[in-house]
Amino acid sequence: MIEFHSVSKQYSADATALSDVSLNIEKGELVYLAGPSGAGKSTLMKMIAAIERPSSGRVIVFGQDIGQLKKPGIPFLRRKLGLIFQQQRLLNDRNILANTMLPLLVAGAPKAGAEQRARAALDKVGLLDRAKAHPLELSGGEQQRVAIARAIVNRPQIILADEPTANLDRVAADKVLDALRAFHSVGVTCLISTHDEQVLDGAGRVIRLEHGQLIGGAA
Amino acid sequence: MSPWIRQHQFAFAAAVSTLRKAPGSFLFNVLVVAVALALPFAGITLLDNVRPMSEQLSVDPEVSLFVKPTATREEAQALEPQLRHILQGSNARIGFVPREQALDDLKERSGLSAALDTLGENPLPDSYVMKLEGFSSAADAKRIDGIVEQMGALPQVDTVQVDSAWVKRLAALLGILRLALLLLAVTLGVVVIAVVFNTIRLQVLTQREEIAVSKLLGATDNFIHRPFYYTGALLGLCAGAVALGAVTLALHPLNGAIAEFARLYASEFQLAPLGALEMAGLLALSAGLGLVGALLSVQRHLARMR
Repeated sequence: MIEFHSVSKQYSADATALSDVSLNIEKGELVYLAGPSGAGKSTLMKMIAAIERPSSGRVIVFGQDIGQLKKPGIPFLRRKLGLIFQQQRLLNDRNILANTMLPLLVAGAPKAGAEQRARAALDKVGLLDRAKAHPLELSGGEQQRVAIARAIVNRPQIILADEPTANLDRVAADKVLDALRAFHSVGVTCLISTHDEQVLDGAGRVIRLEHGQLIGGAA
Repeated sequence: MSPWIRQHQFAFAAAVSTLRKAPGSFLFNVLVVAVALALPFAGITLLDNVRPMSEQLSVDPEVSLFVKPTATREEAQALEPQLRHILQGSNARIGFVPREQALDDLKERSGLSAALDTLGENPLPDSYVMKLEGFSSAADAKRIDGIVEQMGALPQVDTVQVDSAWVKRLAALLGILRLALLLLAVTLGVVVIAVVFNTIRLQVLTQREEIAVSKLLGATDNFIHRPFYYTGALLGLCAGAVALGAVTLALHPLNGAIAEFARLYASEFQLAPLGALEMAGLLALSAGLGLVGALLSVQRHLARMR
């Protein structure tokens, strides 16, 4: 489902984010991407979502070469992904129901149907009763769960979670991880990046990056 | 409902929602654009009222032909058949005015009878006054030029004057006004585009995060651009409506003043507001200018964000 073939990414002559990375993630896998800050985890995730393009090598997602993907095709690729960011990037001027509906409205879904599905997604992360609250009224952990609801509302085939537990206490982090594992259990491919070794306790497959180089878990 | 219509509905609602969040700013922008639009709209209203008047003005030009002072009475009267020949085909009334009658008329009209008596001899020449019919509009006024030229070439003719020249001047003046109005409209159109451009620029900056998040969630460029286009068009449309309303309202006190002036010329001339079709056209034009401003701004500023 996701393939990296000798992928390198250089932002400038002395800023290499990824160096000759090759890996393969199959459909339905739950994969952790581990490494310290600056290891290249975010760059790798951005490439899957076509936010960044490789300087060399090939990134294949859903059989499409990201390097060759034309600009009009990018939104349609992203609609098949669920993106979760370290800073949740919720829109503070609207309530969490409206935030959760956004991916569906962006894809042209009718408002009534979008609202129904957004409520179902919020219910899955245990926040339906806060549907009318605004993001700033929620705790960090709750905000991250809203971000998860927003990521899964369009029933993505892949969830990319970039440091979803950073800045959260252990209880809130566990709730977020439990939610992600629940979606993996119904067949969604999940890639979760973290620099927190505690998160990796009992984890299945872990891909390790350091200084932009793959040091384990590629296969 | 088709997805295309739904997307436009969503974009329109998003534009209205954005405008409602900052009503004061929107109102101010509408007023600025309305002021810029009001001037050309007022000019268009004025021209629309004056144009038919100038086109339908009864010219019925009077041609005055003055015989050379050295010509005898017989020579002067001998000109009449030649004048009739020139005016053949035209419906014209020709009247001979002997110099004695002309002097009497002058004395009577000018009130300078005593002063004219001191001249000793009559300085006025014999003349013909010809009332031409069938030259009733400003557009026909040019036809007289040929007639005047032929009459001027006759022997014993000193001068030929046409009193319809003012109609030609009015037509020329309206032409100049029309051109000036066009230039003014173009200039103020650029002002409108610039105001909308800046308004949309500020909105793009304000909604930068929303745009970035929407893109990450799979929004197409069209999805992101459309609300800004609607905002620009709405701004233009509202400003156009305000400008038209202001011009229409201004006609009322203006007509009061015009009525007094027109009465002096036994006329009932009044400025009428533009017709529904013209108003709809101007509103569409205003919305179009807003759309152009938004289009330029979105292309420039979202391209920078990319």
